[in-house]
Amino acid sequence: MFENHEIIATLEMLKNEHLDVRTVTLGLSLFDCISHNIFKFKTNVENKITQYARDLVMVCNQVGDKYGINVVNKRISISPVALIAAPFPPYQMVEIAKMLNEVAESVNIDFIGGFTALVEKGMAKGDLSLIEAIPEALSSTNRVCASVNVASTRAGINMDAVILMAKAIKITAELTRDRDGIGCAKLCVFSNIPQDIPFMAGAYLGPGEPDMVINVGVSGPGVVKNAIDRALAQDQKLDLGKIAELIKRTACRVTRVGELIGREVAERLDVPFGVVDLSLAPTPTVGDSVGEIFQSLGLSHIGVPGSTAALAMLNDAVKKGGAFASSHVGGLSGAFIPVSEDLNIAESVKNGHLNIEKLEAMTSVCSVGLDMVAIPGDTSFETIAGIIADEMAIGMINNKTTAVRLIPVPGKKPGDEANFGGLLGQATIIDVKNRTAGNPFILHGGRIPAPIHSLRN
Amino acid sequence: MNKLTITVVGNDRPGILSAISGNLLKLDCNIENVSQTILQSEFAGIFIVSAPEDLALDTLHETIQGDLAGMGLHVHVKPLTKQDEPFAREDAEPFIVVTIGPDRKGLVAEIASVIAGYGVNIANLKAVFKGGNDPNKNIMAYEIEIPKSVDLQSLTDDLKTKAKKMDLDLSIQHRKIFDTINRI
Repeated sequence: MFENHEIIATLEMLKNEHLDVRTVTLGLSLFDCISHNIFKFKTNVENKITQYARDLVMVCNQVGDKYGINVVNKRISISPVALIAAPFPPYQMVEIAKMLNEVAESVNIDFIGGFTALVEKGMAKGDLSLIEAIPEALSSTNRVCASVNVASTRAGINMDAVILMAKAIKITAELTRDRDGIGCAKLCVFSNIPQDIPFMAGAYLGPGEPDMVINVGVSGPGVVKNAIDRALAQDQKLDLGKIAELIKRTACRVTRVGELIGREVAERLDVPFGVVDLSLAPTPTVGDSVGEIFQSLGLSHIGVPGSTAALAMLNDAVKKGGAFASSHVGGLSGAFIPVSEDLNIAESVKNGHLNIEKLEAMTSVCSVGLDMVAIPGDTSFETIAGIIADEMAIGMINNKTTAVRLIPVPGKKPGDEANFGGLLGQATIIDVKNRTAGNPFILHGGRIPAPIHSLRN
Repeated sequence: MNKLTITVVGNDRPGILSAISGNLLKLDCNIENVSQTILQSEFAGIFIVSAPEDLALDTLHETIQGDLAGMGLHVHVKPLTKQDEPFAREDAEPFIVVTIGPDRKGLVAEIASVIAGYGVNIANLKAVFKGGNDPNKNIMAYEIEIPKSVDLQSLTDDLKTKAKKMDLDLSIQHRKIFDTINRI
């Protein structure tokens, strides 16, 4: 029988600290669906997704019930559409997005990711077609997520793609103006995108992945926060080395839960298990916040001096705990700092403790990047491209994943509020310096070369 | 050799195990399994021992009880026969049922009756103390073994219905989740 503290700790984590499996994502390779005929292509894709994802939601719920843990989202990631639908022009790419949206609805999943192009070194016909289709695809669907990888440590930064993506973001926001530009919440621009992310909006199934795979995303910022609070209540003089150790151990426990659930879902669906992605992914709920962890650590607000160091420690400890718990850790694994999705971070922006420059600095040590940041609607595409390029440079030079999910909210100025609803939350529009100015540097285009891999200082 | 179960119950105090094991050694008995626990002030221990063929049960009982009677302990000795083989379990999976809520008479009886109604064995039951004296935070944990033939959903629904009537918050979870979180 378990000890009292083991039973209580488990119940606390699941009931009061919001430990959940944030997503079980079924990866499906669609390379075997390729056809030059759009009707045949769409039929092939629809049939394959329906066949293999039909039972996903039911099985996830059954496994969640068995272990008493909530599997919050069930999702699908597919091969990059720019590759599997390369022959098709933009208007047919939009048709494909609509078809994906319908299939997602029919199998009852909330998001399907993979409206994706990988263009870090250059853009092929399918890539250009997909990028051109993104605004209409995202504004005419609500379950399709898009991502474009425009940079990598080995290839450099494709600045032509950066410019196209900045324009795509602007148009997408405009097309979803009635909902504060929510289309942009489903669009990520990446450097060094992993092939196995289970989290949206960046999930897609890379070309090196199997035909089918289950990847799991586990969250648990509340669990980490409470573990820190309990430890500090017992010993206020706990040093940061010991706190990092505590975070690592907690992350390890959480990751094991993810792997347990993922493996059982995979077994029941007769699909190989892929990776568990332990990411401290907040929701707009008190007690489920990454920002609150900073306050537990002793910072008055996320964004004040010391925040980057705290995030570095947090991110690293989470990765170490995850790596110890499972031999198959992947995806993004670390700490997210999505502004609108985290009540505490959104509050810090609102109160002026966190600005976009500090956010950018923090992304050099977090697991993703500038995430769910609402910016003024009149920000020029050159300025957006500049922000993207800066973020991509951080990823490229530091050999890590970075991403940008910016929402230029139409008609809104710094200090105004934007509301995206549900898990996407709400945010105060953050100020952006020189936002309406041009940017000749960006307009040079071309490709910023890959960085040197020695002389690393 | 004969197998015997010896049960000892009574006020806890130092020297109980020493007295029992010392007497068993004198009688040339070997302790094969032992489990003991202390609930509040009470000691309870169960021993499975192998004893020489010619050792009479009365002799064994008198020897152990003789030493323990002065300690306020009661001894029961029973031969273990082939009919005492463990309860034959069909393919079953371990789950843990936890109830949290106000203490009241019949709490265990009501929950246990639902579990028994499905032919499910309770392998262990314990009261978990979270600290403090809040009767509303009375926690009971039942470790049960649910045969695969049992409809888990139906059992869960019945348990939750019963728990709701008693103002209890009830959860039922596969044991692996507790292992996964706590035992690395």
